[in-house]
Amino acid sequence: MIGLKLHLISDFNLETLGHYLANGKAEPQLSVSVAPFGQVFPSLLQLSQAENPDFALVWTSPQKIAPTFANALNHESVDEDRVLAEVEQFAKCLRESQNHVRALFVVSWTLPLYQRGDGILNLKGKGLRKLLLKMNLKLAEHLENSTGIFLLDGQRWTETVGKNAYSPKLWYLTKTPFHADVFRAAASDVKAAISAVVGASRKLIVVDLDNTMWGGVVGDLGWQNLRLGGHDYLGEAYVDFQRALKSLRNRGILLAIASKNEESVALEALAKHPEMVLRLGDIAAHRINWNDKAANISELVAELNLGLQSVVFIDDNPVERARVREALPEVLVPEWPDDKTLFASHLLALDCFDSAYVTLEDKSRHQLYAAEKQRDQSREQIGSAEEWLRSLNTELMVVESGEADRARVVQLMNKTNQMNLSTRRVSELELRTWLQPDTRKLWAFRVKDRFGDSGLTGILSLEIQSGAAQITDFVLSCRVMGRNVEHAMVAFAASYCRSLGLSELRADYLPTEKNKPCLTFWRSSGFLFDEGENRFTWPLSMPYPFPASIKIHQPSGAEGVQAEALRDQEDESRSVFTD
Amino acid sequence: MTTQGIKSLESSVKQPTRDRTGDLDDVLRVIYDSISDLNLQLPEDQRIRKSLSTVLFGAGGTLDSLGLANFIVIAEQKLEESYGFRVDLTEDDPFSPTTGHFRTVESLATYVTSLAARRPDSA
Repeated sequence: MIGLKLHLISDFNLETLGHYLANGKAEPQLSVSVAPFGQVFPSLLQLSQAENPDFALVWTSPQKIAPTFANALNHESVDEDRVLAEVEQFAKCLRESQNHVRALFVVSWTLPLYQRGDGILNLKGKGLRKLLLKMNLKLAEHLENSTGIFLLDGQRWTETVGKNAYSPKLWYLTKTPFHADVFRAAASDVKAAISAVVGASRKLIVVDLDNTMWGGVVGDLGWQNLRLGGHDYLGEAYVDFQRALKSLRNRGILLAIASKNEESVALEALAKHPEMVLRLGDIAAHRINWNDKAANISELVAELNLGLQSVVFIDDNPVERARVREALPEVLVPEWPDDKTLFASHLLALDCFDSAYVTLEDKSRHQLYAAEKQRDQSREQIGSAEEWLRSLNTELMVVESGEADRARVVQLMNKTNQMNLSTRRVSELELRTWLQPDTRKLWAFRVKDRFGDSGLTGILSLEIQSGAAQITDFVLSCRVMGRNVEHAMVAFAASYCRSLGLSELRADYLPTEKNKPCLTFWRSSGFLFDEGENRFTWPLSMPYPFPASIKIHQPSGAEGVQAEALRDQEDESRSVFTD
Repeated sequence: MTTQGIKSLESSVKQPTRDRTGDLDDVLRVIYDSISDLNLQLPEDQRIRKSLSTVLFGAGGTLDSLGLANFIVIAEQKLEESYGFRVDLTEDDPFSPTTGHFRTVESLATYVTSLAARRPDSA
């Protein structure tokens, strides 16, 4: 990720944050501009003229945004409603400005630790900190439905630094209120937030077993003698580490095991130990053997259809960590403490799992992979590929994408690398703007079969120009690749275009390092291929056949497409597919 | 004050929490530690070299006023953590580009040891 532009807006000197963001080694690399400080409202209004930033960050002081709060700081009697109205005014300006950037980050308000405010009355009646809490809450409420605005927790950064977070000396010298360490902590969180928005967060934790998930070597001690739970401080620490892993699983992060052990012995421990928090059902995939862990991780990633850049590897053994770091540089291998009591807190502090949108699909990702396992097993049992595809009873639900599924659509577009025609990355706002002309359409495809519901896993958008249609986005989650869903999506688009009387359907393939599978599909699609232009074309005088193995459900008003699908499915002998 | 001068201070400095404030190596360790912290916010080609002769501020220096202010606050904090008392590095006209104690790493180290010597309990 190179070349993302971030614009900083503040009522104090924010240059130091700009330096950390621009000069830090951590990804993403950013080009940072800083608006003249003290001009928050004009800078927000002029955001569109600020060198087209991808993102903007707004960090303000509560007393500057809400002048009435400044009176409260002086212990003058103030009207709380007036303070909150000033907050609302600020929120309104933020909402109006978000259209000019992919995402707008706003930092919540804090007060210096040395500001005692109303002392023991701080959180009572008209106490100062109570008022500040209300201001932050009101700001959060006003921004709640603005999907392109993210409120960042500034208090985390000042707490990280502690009593030196606010520096009166820096304020008097440079109009910078905070110690550099506050900006350092902020830069780390801002980068994590940008990674989350562009879909670069990690999705899989590969974790070791012995002395990582539990204390001791199960092959030597037996599962009955492991340190896990019980009246034992280390046993409790291991249980808490497993709970922390489980909490990430509940957020949609996949868990996998890479352990050097006898598989049967380790699995018995997972199944039988009474205080084991994570059971085999919580684990998406495992490699328990004596092979090289880097090789095992590569296999796990292939099995789960993920990229190495999605992986975090956790192991207590520094030799294993070094080996994986060296062999698989894309895998994130955090340094791991020797002290077992720090395992859980260390895991929960990792910022690489931050996600801008948590969709239903995210939360049920484990079930989706469990269904995929069953699907794979059935593939091994059934002889021919065609027979297997029919046995799945795949159903495809097509809906014209709207606000309800926008977050998932954007997430899928931004995260999908392999089956992605143009690898277009967009914000919700950019997509909404793109869809404004009637000549542009975008459909979302939900896939389910007898093993489960894979959720919203496909996107196709097209633009109609001069009597022909051009596919802009063709995106399919790797979870459902290879089940003829690709063909059904193309057939749907072709059928829709035929119903409009268009002459041809085109798709321009934009190669990236990772979307070769998409090229492979299109080359097998039956479309004419112009290799020089990387362009695939289907003459719409011919219907494009719907795959017989998939039942398609259309939105109301697309009956013509439905009818064509049924006709095609009745005529099973016809096929242009070459795989 | 020269490096030799700093060393001569060593015997006269007394510390409440440590007894090494006058040790040039020890002071330099804290200054270099502060430089490491500051370098995290600087572009690679502007990072400050850790040596006695490095010019910090003024002609030939790489720090602007914001960088210097950040360096002062970082160094003050680290010195306090190391020696147990608060030092004010902005006394004594620190920003003079020719005579200020932020001119070089060496002049800063000298100044820090002189501050320690000035403390009432250092006699």
